[in-house]
Amino acid sequence: MFGKARIPYGTWGSSYFPAWQTSALAEVNIGQFAGEAMNRILGLRQVPTNTLDYLVIGSTIPWHWKFWNAPLVASCMGHRVPGFHMEQACATGLQAVLLAGAEVDTGAHDVVGVLTFDRTSDSPVGVFPERRAHERTLPISDVWDNFGFDPATGNAMITTAGLAARKYKIDRQEVDEVALYRHEQYFEAKGSGFLDRVLVPLEVLNLQGRPLGRIDDDLGVRKLTLEGLRAMRELDTCVTGGTQTHASDGMASLLVTTRGRAKELSPRPEIDIRFVAKSVVRTQPSLMPEAPALAVKKLLGDTGLTMADMIVVKNHNPFAVNDAVFTRVMDFDWKKMNTTGSSLVWGHPQGPTLTRIVIEALEEAVDLGGGYVLVFGCAAGDVGIAAILKVSEGA
Amino acid sequence: MTTGMRQPTLQTIGLGNVLDLFKNGRPPADVGELVDRVFGPAAGRGAMVISGANGIVGAGKTMQLGSRLEPYGVRIVALDFPNAPDGIGGQYPGLVQAFGPDGAARIMANIVRLTYDGKHLPPELANLKPRFLLEAIPEILEVKRAHYRVFREAFSEIEIRSVTSGFPSAELGVGIAHPAFPHEINKVWEIVEPKPSAFTQLLWALGLIPVPVSDHWSFVLDVLFCGFTLAGLRYHHARNMPYWKVDKFARKLAGPNPFRAHDAIGAKGANFLTWSCLHHLAEQYGEVFRPTPELEAHKDSGQDWYPPNHFRPLVNWSLDDDDEEEFRTWLLGPVYQMTSLMLHEKRAHLAHLNAIGELCAQFRRGVLALMREAGPDGVVETVTAYHRLHPAAAKSAWHPKAIGGMDTPDWQQLYVNAEHDGTVGLVTISRESYNRDVDAELNRALDWLTAARIDRVIVTGDFHLSTQMVGADTAEFYPALEREEDGERIAGGWSRTARRLHDDFAVSVGFIAGKRALGGMLELLAHCHFLVAVEGASLGFPEVTLPVVPGMEACHWPFRRVGEADRHKLVHLLLSGRPVRAPEAVGWLIDYAGPLDEALGTAWKIAGGGKHGVTQRKLVAGKVQVPADVSGLPPAGAPETDAGRKAIMECIQRSCGVPLDEALALQAKLSAEFMVSDACRSGVVGADYQRTVNV
Repeated sequence: MFGKARIPYGTWGSSYFPAWQTSALAEVNIGQFAGEAMNRILGLRQVPTNTLDYLVIGSTIPWHWKFWNAPLVASCMGHRVPGFHMEQACATGLQAVLLAGAEVDTGAHDVVGVLTFDRTSDSPVGVFPERRAHERTLPISDVWDNFGFDPATGNAMITTAGLAARKYKIDRQEVDEVALYRHEQYFEAKGSGFLDRVLVPLEVLNLQGRPLGRIDDDLGVRKLTLEGLRAMRELDTCVTGGTQTHASDGMASLLVTTRGRAKELSPRPEIDIRFVAKSVVRTQPSLMPEAPALAVKKLLGDTGLTMADMIVVKNHNPFAVNDAVFTRVMDFDWKKMNTTGSSLVWGHPQGPTLTRIVIEALEEAVDLGGGYVLVFGCAAGDVGIAAILKVSEGA
Repeated sequence: MTTGMRQPTLQTIGLGNVLDLFKNGRPPADVGELVDRVFGPAAGRGAMVISGANGIVGAGKTMQLGSRLEPYGVRIVALDFPNAPDGIGGQYPGLVQAFGPDGAARIMANIVRLTYDGKHLPPELANLKPRFLLEAIPEILEVKRAHYRVFREAFSEIEIRSVTSGFPSAELGVGIAHPAFPHEINKVWEIVEPKPSAFTQLLWALGLIPVPVSDHWSFVLDVLFCGFTLAGLRYHHARNMPYWKVDKFARKLAGPNPFRAHDAIGAKGANFLTWSCLHHLAEQYGEVFRPTPELEAHKDSGQDWYPPNHFRPLVNWSLDDDDEEEFRTWLLGPVYQMTSLMLHEKRAHLAHLNAIGELCAQFRRGVLALMREAGPDGVVETVTAYHRLHPAAAKSAWHPKAIGGMDTPDWQQLYVNAEHDGTVGLVTISRESYNRDVDAELNRALDWLTAARIDRVIVTGDFHLSTQMVGADTAEFYPALEREEDGERIAGGWSRTARRLHDDFAVSVGFIAGKRALGGMLELLAHCHFLVAVEGASLGFPEVTLPVVPGMEACHWPFRRVGEADRHKLVHLLLSGRPVRAPEAVGWLIDYAGPLDEALGTAWKIAGGGKHGVTQRKLVAGKVQVPADVSGLPPAGAPETDAGRKAIMECIQRSCGVPLDEALALQAKLSAEFMVSDACRSGVVGADYQRTVNV
């Protein structure tokens, strides 16, 4: 898939993902922040922003001046290139990367920036005049009202986790263990310095140009204990405050380009990162947590690859139930995946979540000497998305 | 016969040695005579036409020259297209501020505003007898040439100067008088002409600063400023740093913030001028001058470099030590290379070449002073490192041989010159504020005079680049805000230099020729045996307003030279920060004040040992009594000022309470102690330091 497209190693970066309302990111235009942050990250990676000729942005929550789309964000980067905005709920971060691959593969563009971002803090309230509704005008708080109500089914996100847990007969103990294990994986990765290669500390300025705050930690991540998790109130079957993710703010970026340009731009030109395949499926109503497993199943069927072929497996798991379901469907030990943590732990700013996961997965694959990388996750509407990338060295 | 350490800059505009001013007891050029020569005698006086008068340059110069020539009956014709936006009306508030409502009305009434279509001059123009055209129209060669043809056909005798920032005189066919931004107040004009003209000398006589430069593509200011801007652009291009942040690091490194300057001037016009300048330079000299794509884009769009207000920068940028060294290479490498080209082409007197960067392009220290500090090997190292980053720049316009000779007086005396006639010496300082360069050069000048056995000396400004003496360069205090030892080193070292004016000469005369002598400069000159000032000069110690404690002995030296009854005036001067006019200071701060000619003559008589009638105030080496309080001080207004007053009063009491030989070290220590205090750090100097250094 996208045989001409490559992701140049080491030209990526993500902000930390502070939990909603905990950092200076709650105060900013996230589109502007994302543009300036990507420019800063590219600067740190020694990639001139002027090498980009296209920009794909992805976000799910309306932001000020969103109408002006990718060109506006590019202006905030300091480089006026065209581009477009895309969104597919929580799959945005992966779909944006795949769309950039398509842009390069068609030959339309040479170096495409992928920039995903969202601010769940103080999300805007939309007012929708709907004359047929008895309320006449419906205000919707973008983040919370959407999480709380899938208009297609009438259920909340959290309900899908409970329904999936019941369908697969998953018990609370396993889900608590998954959550605890993911936290331990995260803190181990953090302690090893692994995350320093992915996450970039960023200082945010106020209007006067003085420091407003430093975005240098995944604020909101707690050290959990099994006892503590067990003591938590169950919000739905197997779902507690400790076994589901939290809303956060942030951005993540990477580049997609041709093989030749990737060699020029990467600090390690010998590393080759290719797109292999993708799949997107939709499962039964209100069973969102099983959709990613079904997407992976289809993807493996399409490619002839097996889980044993995967050197790195990472997913967006807003509920620990997702991982337990994956184990049931794919017969794959959940301890072998998400080895550097996951969105269950470090939060879910929506747009950039899967982009950060892709970056972490690729860094980990390089550490392991290369191989197939499986990235997948769920998205609003009972959708699952999965993609396989291949990391080779010495190419 | 007069001997000099190096050529006085006045000679470059045909006005001789500075020593001759004192010998002759008058300036070498008279405004009235020169107005007659340029515009004709009063009976049939002609006008000055400024074309493109509504533009930024044209409007500014209409004000600057209009205000100065109005008293001499020279009409200013402001000529522009009929649809040109009014650039002159907006100047009126500034005129009122500077000259009062009556003065402003008089100046505006002397300006005749005419329009034309670019091809046909308005018939009324002939009645105004145009004698001089200052052309300030857009930078398009053919348009300019056509413009001159129109004027020459109508007025065959008219003298023309172009304000162009890029085209050589040889291309234009007219002389060049290239002014510097901001045009209303910046006094510097780069002049290109075969030999100093009456117009150039008239600029000098009007209090402006004409600086001769050679006839090459773009002039010194534009090579430096556009070159520095380009260096910032190249860094941005390579490393992504936003322009606003490049500006901050550039200001920390050297002083200018080129992108803010473009926006302040007006990005549309300034971007084009910078591009035009660099484009032509690149065609002539190669890649070191080649505009970047970003400049091309901004030239075409006219867009500001800073983001709009609703997108004020959000993400900060920092540099570690290695990054900052690379930034330094990206910025200074090309500027050093471009300067080597200008040196190779002998574009200007080195003092001029150095000063233009400071006076017109915001450099804290002149580029030659920076290069001198780095040394020839250091400069080559920086340029070589730059060429590793930008290999194309290495192919041309790099003249390492041109930076040889740094040990010659031309290089060594960029700010301070000395002359003598075998009996009387003269030291001229061409920098308005005192810094490490002036200090070192002053010491070398004094060494040169004492080596020549000159023991009578006048110390003054250079009557050219320095039109006032504003005090110590507060940027020099930045290290002292962090380390007390640095404060003591600076205050002690500068005080020892100042004492040489007293100790190394039988007679020394400080001469204040400009508008003001303040702070450190006044402290310096107060060490002379005699202090003579022109009657319009303001004298004062504004240190308390910053606040800092004077460190060049103002807290005790002047007190030792005045009777007890007058010491409260010095206390008031130091604690209020408010200046006094020179005539009011005679007898307790200075020794003579009078009109320029008389003051020059008096200084010469004192220095030459002639009969002058001025009584020298003796220096008391022992302890002196100073009143512990003084009445009539204005309210401090801020806690920092109050703290400054207390510290200054303590310094006065304690340094006057010890013998002269102990006072220097004591007052330096007290000055340094205050420099690291919270009061100093939260004051003007501290804020400037924070803004400049902590980026």
